[in-house]
Amino acid sequence: MEVQGYGMTQNNTTPVAGHFKRNPPIAGEADALERAKNGDPDAFSKLYALHKRRVYTLCLRMLGNVSEAEDMTQEAFLHLYRKLGSFRGESAFSTWLHRLTVNLVLMHLRKKGLQLVSLEETINPSEEDAPKRDFGSRDPRLSGSVDRVALERAVATLPPGYRLVFVLHDVEGYEHNEIAEMLECSTGNSKSQLHKARLKLREILRQNEHAALVQESK
Amino acid sequence: MPEHDEKRWTCEEFEKALPDLFERAEGGKLSADPRFAAILRDCPQAAELVRDLEYIAETARMLLEPEGEGPSSDLWGKIEREITSKDSIQ
Repeated sequence: MEVQGYGMTQNNTTPVAGHFKRNPPIAGEADALERAKNGDPDAFSKLYALHKRRVYTLCLRMLGNVSEAEDMTQEAFLHLYRKLGSFRGESAFSTWLHRLTVNLVLMHLRKKGLQLVSLEETINPSEEDAPKRDFGSRDPRLSGSVDRVALERAVATLPPGYRLVFVLHDVEGYEHNEIAEMLECSTGNSKSQLHKARLKLREILRQNEHAALVQESK
Repeated sequence: MPEHDEKRWTCEEFEKALPDLFERAEGGKLSADPRFAAILRDCPQAAELVRDLEYIAETARMLLEPEGEGPSSDLWGKIEREITSKDSIQ
């Protein structure tokens, strides 16, 4: 699988400052990286061990499917093996690896059927999936006890288009202009999708909180 | 965001502008921006919405470091076999 033109080279993956902050170097990574570049198979195995969970989790969040996430994790590391020589250390390694992974997953999604129309059109979910909101309506606020497990579950139930933008922006830390480039949509569309994703998450989390309260009262 | 400095919002206008306002807010923290203190005070429903959406975005940052399960234990074996077979072809 070749992903030319999808930001695989160092020059096309200029990270924003936040990516350095959010992806600090991991102990042992620099050494493993240098050795792996020189063809040391044990060093590549070490890089896999250091990054497999984050790469897999990223794939799983974007795809929402365990089997596909495994396949894309495999694809990402095979691609990494072939492209490792082009990493020049101008960004955090994990930032570069994640961008490589995101590009592969997006290419996979396009191959699955999104290639004929732009993502801008296809990522918009149906009316029934869209967050329900009337201006001026007073909704019960979140309790403030929503933890990462509850949020992770809620994210998994988002419509795919919302989930993609939410994961890329709020979890992975990409800017809207980067997401727009990746998804081939406008920055305005990315902003709008993110807002709808957050509204939808609020709705899901409130419903879950309500359901838990009802359960407790029984 | 100079165009928003002197703007007097209605609740509906404010809620409609939220995607853009969140993007421009320092650290995504709209509630801490004094320019929006008045509208957030006057529109409790908008204040609650902003509070919840900020809370969701903050919690999302914690998801970067995964706590769940990783890939299956045999995945590395598959990758290794692929690498070995491709290396031997080349």
